[in-house]
Amino acid sequence: MYDDVRLSLPDTLDQEVIFRQLERVLDPELDEPILKLGFVKSIEVESDHLTIELHLPTYWCAPNFSYMMAEDTRRELLTVGGIHDVTVRLKDHFAAKTIEAGVNTGKSFSQAFPDEASEDLCQLSDLFLRKGYIRRQERLLQNLKSVGLSLEEIAVRRIGDLYFEGESYRIRRNDGRICDVGEAEVARQYFQRRAEMNLDCSPAAPLIIDLRGREVTAEQLEKYLIRARTVRVALQANGSFCAAVLAARKGKN
Amino acid sequence: MYRENGQEIFVVDGHMHFWDANPENWRNEYGEGWIRCFYDFHTALSPEEYVWSFEKYCKYGEETLIDDLFSEGYVDVAILNSTYLYEFYKNGFNTHQQNNAIKAKYPDRFILCGSFDPRAEEAGLDAFRQMVEDYPIQGLKLYTAEWRNGSKGWRLNDPWAYKYFELAEELGVKNIHVHKGPTVYPLNRDAFDVADVDYAATDFPNLNFIIEHIGLPRLDDFCWIATQEKNVYAGMSVAMAFIHSRPKYFAEIVANLLFWLGEDRMIFGSDYAIWTPKWLIEKFMALELPDDIKEEYGVDLTPEAKRKVLGENAAGLYGIDISAHSEKLSQDEIGVKFAGSA
Repeated sequence: MYDDVRLSLPDTLDQEVIFRQLERVLDPELDEPILKLGFVKSIEVESDHLTIELHLPTYWCAPNFSYMMAEDTRRELLTVGGIHDVTVRLKDHFAAKTIEAGVNTGKSFSQAFPDEASEDLCQLSDLFLRKGYIRRQERLLQNLKSVGLSLEEIAVRRIGDLYFEGESYRIRRNDGRICDVGEAEVARQYFQRRAEMNLDCSPAAPLIIDLRGREVTAEQLEKYLIRARTVRVALQANGSFCAAVLAARKGKN
Repeated sequence: MYRENGQEIFVVDGHMHFWDANPENWRNEYGEGWIRCFYDFHTALSPEEYVWSFEKYCKYGEETLIDDLFSEGYVDVAILNSTYLYEFYKNGFNTHQQNNAIKAKYPDRFILCGSFDPRAEEAGLDAFRQMVEDYPIQGLKLYTAEWRNGSKGWRLNDPWAYKYFELAEELGVKNIHVHKGPTVYPLNRDAFDVADVDYAATDFPNLNFIIEHIGLPRLDDFCWIATQEKNVYAGMSVAMAFIHSRPKYFAEIVANLLFWLGEDRMIFGSDYAIWTPKWLIEKFMALELPDDIKEEYGVDLTPEAKRKVLGENAAGLYGIDISAHSEKLSQDEIGVKFAGSA
């Protein structure tokens, strides 16, 4: 599954459970799971104590984002049955000591960096949650467009018009026909983020709503899509950059 | 000069460095960490045959630089970015004083950028005036995330920054390069956030703001601002480096810049010595936007657009008359030395 991760677990502990929990931890800027990005180097469990080692793409990865990932990792793993203590280690990071000391004792970012950080990370975390929403929505919109839905048709779709079937999803069109659209994951990720942001996810709610939960009309949709496309390209920048740096770094090790 | 099918393209490298990251110059572990991080960028995105040894990367020297830019790299004029980093490097990383040595030797080949730090307040204003008096400063390179006495960064719309912009206008230094790029070390929240550009560009319409690294990964925020502010330019270094390993993605970045800013406000930069201009320029000249991207964005990277991006736009900002300047360059030491080659 995640073959790159070095594992040392007792027989009583199922690695699937750990991975499932860890899959919830995202790189906030990239909006991708850190597991998939290859940031998790090793996981070791001794009795009820789990130690996880993260290897971020560069020595200078911004401490705020690094802190968020380390914090989320610890929080998620503490929910695994049989684990009572979690230690996060950062390999080759300039602020590893301070981040580890803070995260592993449950301190907030500003408590961990009292002289250097004036605020906590919620605001930043929110910003990337919102950007991620746009990115996920854009993927869905591109899917719908590619199977022939017009902007007018997209604008009047309700959540209830969308069905999951196995690994794909389908949409009911204006004339009542139901057609295949794309991979289920695209729609699932969109709904998951929509729920995380407390936006209306009921079947009667419009399929496409903006960040404030407002309906997007067909006339607005064209401009909306153009902007969403740029948000997606921007988010991909760091992903491409990190992936390249990480690959080069791994090659050298 | 890039030559193809009888055409000559004047090349300005809008962003390059002449640094000294020799271990003897490291002040602390950050000096080492900084250059190692750059080296990671270098190895990660360069084609294999252009990867240097770490030793060479720390200090490559004048001869290598001249060769990489003006002989191998098609560059006619290069913009020397000054980066100080005194907290990491004993003598600084590449200060304007250091950079001026090479500028003085080849005056028509380089444009020298100085800098200011508004956190120096009143005293810094005098130093700024003095710098412009003592050195041939034509532009500024600002680095809002730089550390200083416990402060981890500043913003372009800080009241003291405005006093410096007023002075820049008075002294006739019109081109302001601002580093807004991948996070290297902003500890506090988001020192590379681009929102401050909006205020400064609105309040100083006579200054040009060249946003280096196009705000990556804040490309979206950068585009919204640059669309509103006509004196904001896209400094394409770092983004350029995607052209080798992720050409389709690079094409999409270019499409976004063409769509939001247009071909008149895009400026090539290599970020030498992180990457070398030769392969960047060759690949850029060979690039055609894929049809699906052309169609989706309704833009194209025409030969005319390439000319502008590679040289004409930057030449315009710095008042360079391309034909007169080319003539001059063919007569200088470098022009004579490399005549007939490349």
